[in-house]
Amino acid sequence: MTNTARPSPIAWLIAPAGLLFVLFFVMPFAVMTAMSFYSGNPVTNPNAFLTTRHYERFILDTAGIFHEALWSTLRIGLVTTIVSLLIGYPLAHWMARMQSRLGHALVLMAVIAPMLTGIVVRTFAWMTILQDKGVINTTLIQWGLIEKPLPLMYNEFGTIVALVHIYVPFMVLTLTGVIGRIDERLEQAARSLGAGRLRAFVEVTLPLSLPGILAGSLLVFALSISAYVTPSLMGGTNVLTLPMLIAQQVGTSFNPNFAGALGVILLLVSLAIVVAYNRILARLSGEQGMA
Amino acid sequence: MISRRKALRAGAGFAALATVGAPSILHAQTKTLKITTWGGKWGEVMKATVLPAFEKEFKCTVSADQAFPFLPKLQVSPKNEPIYDVLHANSNEQWNAVVEGLVMDKITAKEVPNIADVYPYAVSDKIVGVTIFTSAIGLGYRTDKGLTKPTSWKDLADPKLAGARGGYLIPVNSLGQAHLMMLGKVYGKGLTDLDAAYKALEALKPIKLVDFTGQMEKMLLSAEVSMGVIHDSGVYRYEGANMQPVDFASPSEGVLALEQVLNVTPGSKVKELAFAYIDYMLRPDVQKQLAEAVWYSPANKKVKLDAKYDAKLLTTPEKVATLIQPDWKWYNARREDIDARVTKILKG
Repeated sequence: MTNTARPSPIAWLIAPAGLLFVLFFVMPFAVMTAMSFYSGNPVTNPNAFLTTRHYERFILDTAGIFHEALWSTLRIGLVTTIVSLLIGYPLAHWMARMQSRLGHALVLMAVIAPMLTGIVVRTFAWMTILQDKGVINTTLIQWGLIEKPLPLMYNEFGTIVALVHIYVPFMVLTLTGVIGRIDERLEQAARSLGAGRLRAFVEVTLPLSLPGILAGSLLVFALSISAYVTPSLMGGTNVLTLPMLIAQQVGTSFNPNFAGALGVILLLVSLAIVVAYNRILARLSGEQGMA
Repeated sequence: MISRRKALRAGAGFAALATVGAPSILHAQTKTLKITTWGGKWGEVMKATVLPAFEKEFKCTVSADQAFPFLPKLQVSPKNEPIYDVLHANSNEQWNAVVEGLVMDKITAKEVPNIADVYPYAVSDKIVGVTIFTSAIGLGYRTDKGLTKPTSWKDLADPKLAGARGGYLIPVNSLGQAHLMMLGKVYGKGLTDLDAAYKALEALKPIKLVDFTGQMEKMLLSAEVSMGVIHDSGVYRYEGANMQPVDFASPSEGVLALEQVLNVTPGSKVKELAFAYIDYMLRPDVQKQLAEAVWYSPANKKVKLDAKYDAKLLTTPEKVATLIQPDWKWYNARREDIDARVTKILKG
């Protein structure tokens, strides 16, 4: 006789996390979804009625800004993720293979240090560097290399630079853990069998680190597409993302119902991308359902 | 028979109970007024002196929320038990609130006696609630860039200012919205001439846009822009601080009013106290203290400011006459279309 039907007492330890998840994600999301199908707040307004008009407003997009905002959000998320991966992977690989404990600790501190400062502060720091009267443009103009300031800010470029700086540590920390667990002898075996450094990396280390790439990319992508402060401050008028539109709807247009619909749409589109990404990477690595 | 020791012990126990119970009894008797108010220097003065004096005089406690935006919080609270008793907001938000039945549509001198002493703009048909202060929206400019002091709103369109002029993200900032209406007046038939306004807005590109006034102040101070739309208090407050080369200009077509409006929620359980608070905020001494702290023009005609403030703020009927009050009810009704249109114009 087995007692597999009975949950282990240890399983109860996840109860607080489960409760938090239900209280602070499932319930608010359910309320937000319900609100997105109402004309107003049904709790305070007895005349509020069920409607799909908020979704129609987005889908029909007669204003001509919502689809562009969604595409802009996803584009910023994808580019930030790719650049963070390209910067983060070599750094994570170097850290994971570092023999010196002191060296590892110092690099780890260097990676974590920026996270000790708030996102707003870091974004303002980027503003002082990239704006028209910022450090870079002022220096280049003083040296006579340019006459007019380079467009480093108030666009997607500046937004992505600041986002990459903010989210690279998340990529590095995720990748370091995974790469550090890959048995170095596998790479050495490949090389002893005649593979060059590059081939050993591409055919052994890289596929084995795919779970880390997947986890790090998803983390950075999720954080980038939901970023609000950085695109608002760095993007000027040339960047309009869905989180900015949602904040507008709640904070200044006072239309939480449409904001709810935008939130649901952003989540559904992101989920579709995450599922597709997961499947592609799973196929590439020959495994199934890595995440 | 009760011994002395027993009597003392019983007495001590009773005293202890009374001590523990007293605060809750006191609390039950003390009314709490829930208000919204700004942060920064305004919030400092309110918390340090203005609110404690009100609490002492009216034997109440004031719970002040400084975490903007306030209206979404009021929207989700029950109407018969609102999260605030007094909503302090700019005029456009008060109009949003009144449409949803979240604030009262009219307050008169019957409820707030000091209303009898305010300038007409403070309770005009463009206002719901009572204006306690106003700022003038005009043009802020750098005095070290060889610019002549602007005299017209059209000066912002000077080709020399391409890329060095500043405005606001219109969907999120009421100064930007008011400026858009002013463009309709200056270049077209009036504040509601949106076609003329859109055309004039297009001509202002390239323009640096920000979403709140504090950012515009920083852009002016750092010379990121040489001229920008801003309220007078956003420039005057730096007077004397490291001799900043910035100044404020009132265009000849008139300045736009940025009113600080107080209103009472219909479901408030302490309405009398709420009206008393508005009346208190309109008292000349309170008005003077706050006006000089943050460079706001007082709504009460009887306020006598120190010469330095009196020279620059709107303290006479003649100066007040230059104020233009936008019709926020009209604007808010068209807001979705305007937001979409200006976003498209200013993007790219």
